[in-house]
Amino acid sequence: MFQNRAEAFALVLPAAIFASVVFLVPVGILLSEGFRTGDSWTIQAYIDFFSQSLNQTVFLRTLKLAAMVTAVSAVIGYAAAFAIVNLPPKGKGRITGLVVLPLMISPVARTYAWLVILGRTGFVNQALVGIGLSDEPIRFLFTETAVFIGLLQLFLPLMIISLISALENMPRDAVPAARVLGANWFQVFTKVILPLTKEGLVIGGTLVFTGSMTAYITPAILGGSKVLMLETLMYQRVTVANDFVAASVIALILIVMAFAANVLLKRLATARNKR
Amino acid sequence: MTSRLFSPIVLLLVLTFLIGPFLIIIAASLSAGETLAFPPQGLSLRWVFKVFEVESFRASFGISMFLAIGGTLAALILGIPASYALSRYKVPGAETIRTIVSSPIIVPGIIVGLALLRYFVVPFNFGILFALFMAHTALILPYAVRVVSASLNNLRSDIEEAAVLLGSSRVGAFFRVVMPNIRGGILAAFILGFVTSFNQVPVSLFLSGPGVRTLPIDMLSYMEITYDPSVAALSALLAFMSLGIVFLAERFLGFSRYV
Repeated sequence: MFQNRAEAFALVLPAAIFASVVFLVPVGILLSEGFRTGDSWTIQAYIDFFSQSLNQTVFLRTLKLAAMVTAVSAVIGYAAAFAIVNLPPKGKGRITGLVVLPLMISPVARTYAWLVILGRTGFVNQALVGIGLSDEPIRFLFTETAVFIGLLQLFLPLMIISLISALENMPRDAVPAARVLGANWFQVFTKVILPLTKEGLVIGGTLVFTGSMTAYITPAILGGSKVLMLETLMYQRVTVANDFVAASVIALILIVMAFAANVLLKRLATARNKR
Repeated sequence: MTSRLFSPIVLLLVLTFLIGPFLIIIAASLSAGETLAFPPQGLSLRWVFKVFEVESFRASFGISMFLAIGGTLAALILGIPASYALSRYKVPGAETIRTIVSSPIIVPGIIVGLALLRYFVVPFNFGILFALFMAHTALILPYAVRVVSASLNNLRSDIEEAAVLLGSSRVGAFFRVVMPNIRGGILAAFILGFVTSFNQVPVSLFLSGPGVRTLPIDMLSYMEITYDPSVAALSALLAFMSLGIVFLAERFLGFSRYV
């Protein structure tokens, strides 16, 4: 440990100043704009925002989709992570690699694939009409289902890798011991696996929830203007209506919800701990 | 018996869901037909070649490359000294500084882009490219600090103290003793920063002007007008590029150790 303060500051300040000037200050000013009308400070912009039914719908839809994606990815994530952890070491490394692989691919490319699959002349519709399950193509694109599927595919790997590391840190004998003592699989999961891996679940859950909530590409491509989420609504407010006040309101909502999700999930983890 | 079948089935389904769309993109990009379709109508490489002929793709690829390389280098130039100070010095308010430096990860990128557009580009007449460069640098900075800090913390500090005791200057000790030992971490940070910046959309969304936009943004707007397989071909090419980089990194420096 070196003690020289001047040297320490000289090393650390350029980065700190850069992040403040390029990031903290502009974002701070942007957020303050939602509270200003003329010279006075007010929350009128927030009242106006939430009094419009479109905005309410978009707000609730964003929360709902993010929560659903988180819940479903947790269920699939546990099944997948459990299967992966029990593989022999060589297979474990390979399969984990395949799970992480999509994270390196551009989200635009990954979302674009769903156009090919779910589109009107897409793979799924051709199959449905071909087998005779449906007379005409079903509309999948620009529905909440399409956005849900896209988000799930985008964020599932984050949940799986969080749960893999949590399951690997679990004592090896915990599950067999519970089984020997007569617990069924449901009890094993709720009483043994869940409490021992909740930290991984919280980390994965926070990543998936905030990721889905602040997603832009997926709702833009698969939802269009029919299924707006908060970020696509923000983009629309700015580009179509030049409405920076609404943009500022949405920005604060996104930041607050991300922090709230973070705190809430951490609380949940510690609350279970005490029991 | 059921549990023995359970694992392979789950893994097969999950991997199909995660990797399948990517394979479909590759197949669709090899189509000979005029519109995007799977299964492809005949096989040809025409759309792969078309990608290189689209003028705007060439221009925006150059810009994305410049931002990914330049932004990551700038982030490392700012981030390495900061990480060094945070791990080797008693810095007053170290936690606050750490939070400030890593804040660009926490706040959604679209907000950063909008804020820069509104308070830098418009009032001070900064160029879009300059603003993009700043935004990408700020975005990569947290990753650079995190990865470099991790490899600095794994390096025992006595060896550089020994170098200083033996008469080396502090700066000399850093460049001759510390740098060679954290080279792997720096390279890993560079690759992570490059991939993050190259694939980044929200930050660049508002920061696009006439002739200046990043490749992913250009792809998004191309998709809105045309429904031909060239975006699929471009997506496949880019995916192979990222995978190639990550594969080489894993091969030669065990990338996953650092990230």
